[in-house]
Amino acid sequence: MKILFYSIDEIKEGRLVGEDDYGNKYYENNYYFFSSNRWVRYNPNVNMEYDGSQVPPEWHRWLHYITDEPPSTHPPELKKWMQPHKPNMSGTDKKYVPYSTTKPKVDVWQPSQGK
Amino acid sequence: MLRLWPTCRALRAQSLIRSSSRCYATEPEKIEVFVDGNPVYVEPGTTVLQACADGGVQIPRFCYHERLSIAGNCRMCLVEIEKSPKPQASCAMPVMKGMRIKTDSEVSRKAREGVMEFLLANHPLDCPICDQGGECDLQDQSMVFGSDRSRFTDIHFAGKRAVEDKNIGPLVKTIMTRCIHCTRCIRFANEVAGVEELGTTGRGNEMQVGTYVEKLFRSELSGNVIDLCPVGALTSKPYAFTARPWETRKTESIDVMDALGSNIVVSTRTNEVMRILPRMNEDINEEWISDKTRFAYDGLKRQRLAFPYIKDASGTLQQTSWEKALMTAAEKISSVEGSQIAGLAGGLVDAEALISLKDLLNKLGSESLCTEEIFPMDGAGTDLRSNYLLNTKIAGIEEADLVLFIGTNPRFEAPLLNARVRKSWIHNELDVALIGTPVDLTYDYEHVGESTDVLKKIAQGNHPFAKRLNSAKKPMVVVGSSALQRKDGGAILAAVSTIANTARVNSGCGDSWKVLNVLHRVASQVAALDLGYKAGVDVIRQNPPKVLFLLGADAGVITRQDLPKDCFVIYQGHHGDEGVNMADLVLPGVAYTEKNATYVNTEGRAQQTRLAVSPPGQAKEDWKIIRALSEIAGKKLPYDNIAEVRHRLSQVSPNLTRYGDAEDANYFKQAQQLAGLVKGQMEPTPMTPPMLELKDFYMTDSISRASQTMAKCVQAVQESEKNPYLED
Repeated sequence: MKILFYSIDEIKEGRLVGEDDYGNKYYENNYYFFSSNRWVRYNPNVNMEYDGSQVPPEWHRWLHYITDEPPSTHPPELKKWMQPHKPNMSGTDKKYVPYSTTKPKVDVWQPSQGK
Repeated sequence: MLRLWPTCRALRAQSLIRSSSRCYATEPEKIEVFVDGNPVYVEPGTTVLQACADGGVQIPRFCYHERLSIAGNCRMCLVEIEKSPKPQASCAMPVMKGMRIKTDSEVSRKAREGVMEFLLANHPLDCPICDQGGECDLQDQSMVFGSDRSRFTDIHFAGKRAVEDKNIGPLVKTIMTRCIHCTRCIRFANEVAGVEELGTTGRGNEMQVGTYVEKLFRSELSGNVIDLCPVGALTSKPYAFTARPWETRKTESIDVMDALGSNIVVSTRTNEVMRILPRMNEDINEEWISDKTRFAYDGLKRQRLAFPYIKDASGTLQQTSWEKALMTAAEKISSVEGSQIAGLAGGLVDAEALISLKDLLNKLGSESLCTEEIFPMDGAGTDLRSNYLLNTKIAGIEEADLVLFIGTNPRFEAPLLNARVRKSWIHNELDVALIGTPVDLTYDYEHVGESTDVLKKIAQGNHPFAKRLNSAKKPMVVVGSSALQRKDGGAILAAVSTIANTARVNSGCGDSWKVLNVLHRVASQVAALDLGYKAGVDVIRQNPPKVLFLLGADAGVITRQDLPKDCFVIYQGHHGDEGVNMADLVLPGVAYTEKNATYVNTEGRAQQTRLAVSPPGQAKEDWKIIRALSEIAGKKLPYDNIAEVRHRLSQVSPNLTRYGDAEDANYFKQAQQLAGLVKGQMEPTPMTPPMLELKDFYMTDSISRASQTMAKCVQAVQESEKNPYLED
């Protein structure tokens, strides 16, 4: 409960619109003003490690008023080239690390080289 | 003088001055000439160009070079001389009494502008992509002396004169369209390098510099034509398009590829050695360096040891941390008795590392410190310095009148010493003789014999050559270090010492002239012997150690078979070469471009290398590694910085820190008396130096073995032997 309070900084009540594959729950209460009337409660398992990028694109559309039709009632058409959603991994051990494409200046000897 | 037939005439004036130290008893009277009205006193026979230089006026020139014969074909040095109807080429014009030279008159300037205009008319405008850019004489002189406008209009787009590029090997790149026909490269090849490979074909506009037929420029000094070329016609192939001279940092350093310690400039950029150039040192390398010195630098970027390695249970080396590596090493050397530890130093090690290792092992109670290079230890051995130095000094060759080489091939063991001998052979009528396997030395020599029999006969005085040695004014006897590495090395050294001493006494050259010379092959040897290392690995063979410390020992003289099974081998060095193959623990040291270190050349001259680039990975300066190890092993060495190490060096041998000086060694007589005690007999086998042909020259140490350029050279030389146009 504590986590829930932290994650949206207020106690809100609303209608559960749907839940995505990652366990995030999406709510709506039109009693609130526009821009505050749709919100997400992240999967409690992520604890305080919640992040905006954990919202998959189809729910992102609804959450950001690009559409009024939530994917729970209007599931998106799945194409075969679509990849599963991946949140931003920055700050984790799966983070993206750029690597140098230039040749190293010194060719270091490896024990397997023998000589 | 007539030994170099094409230049015998042109050289006469110049060589008279050069050999004046021997020819004249008194200095000739100087004559007065006027350079732009200022009186200058010069020796007769001086050229106008040199007189102007004495008077502080630099005459522009392309073909003239101080160390080459005079060609006088570029015409850039034209100056007006009063009472002379036409401007004169000052490089070829001897001065006359009262001559009035006008270097900046209207006629002189006009003449230069005209010459420059003709040169530029057929010179390509590819300066932006030319490797000579920034150090091009043509560029510089056209800015200073050229006309400010051009009359060159190629309205028909006929194109400039174009010449086909020549392939003369993997080191020198040719872009012959840029050639201005100064013929410096040809004169260098003929006079200094002594290979008659280059020449000209055609005349006038059709003239081309080349090798007549496509073949390799087979010389160990070929790289010097790159420096000599005033334009971008001859440039360095490995350096092509890699850097510009103004963006490189120059570090003045010392070469370690042979025992001469040639002075070099290391050009670096972005912490990478871009190229190596010679630095002037009249006592050692003049202004040349050998190809190995110049081009082996790419070996510094390959096969480098950048991390400590330790052998795991399965017997393979695994990368480890410095902490663990040093802890293991300290544990091993403290766990055995001092006498069961041995040290072995290789050929590229500096004096600081040598003294640190010696102090450490001595503190632990070990006396078995050896060098890989063998030197006879019987008789006076290495106790007297005169026994193992090139006592006459390299520059002394110019004063000598007879040189006897014994069991050496100076052309490849010390290319610049050989160039010096050749110079003396041309200009000073130096006579050269050789005992040992006959080799091509680029000049004529008398082949006295092949085996040690001759040596014995000369030593006893019943060989005709003994008379010649005794009647020479300033004889030199140079014995190669490889001849002393045979089993009978002690006897050979004793015989050579006798020959030298007899010649010294009988020739009447005086006490100041040294006759006995030893020519070493590796850079570290003299410093190691000065510090008291034992030459040769007999000590290690006789009492096999439990812990062996290899300090850059890559020659492979000690193998696993020589050691007990449980012997722990520590290798410290900079290349993954022979040494690491038998090591249980590898400590990464640094190469000569990455440290401030002391090397002593074969003359006994201490010189310093300078830090040009930082070491790769976790490699550390060698003496620091040993110092750290000593502290962990509980035998702390009493020095914390390089100044304190050098103080220690000078305590052991003061000459090691007198940089630039070659300290004279004495006690020849005593050395010879001690040599008389040598028991062994000479074996009558021929004395064959290890480097006989050019292909043996390129890859001799861990750096040059790692170099791809050197590998290409070996390949090119082998390929060129199949060339049907090759002479002999």
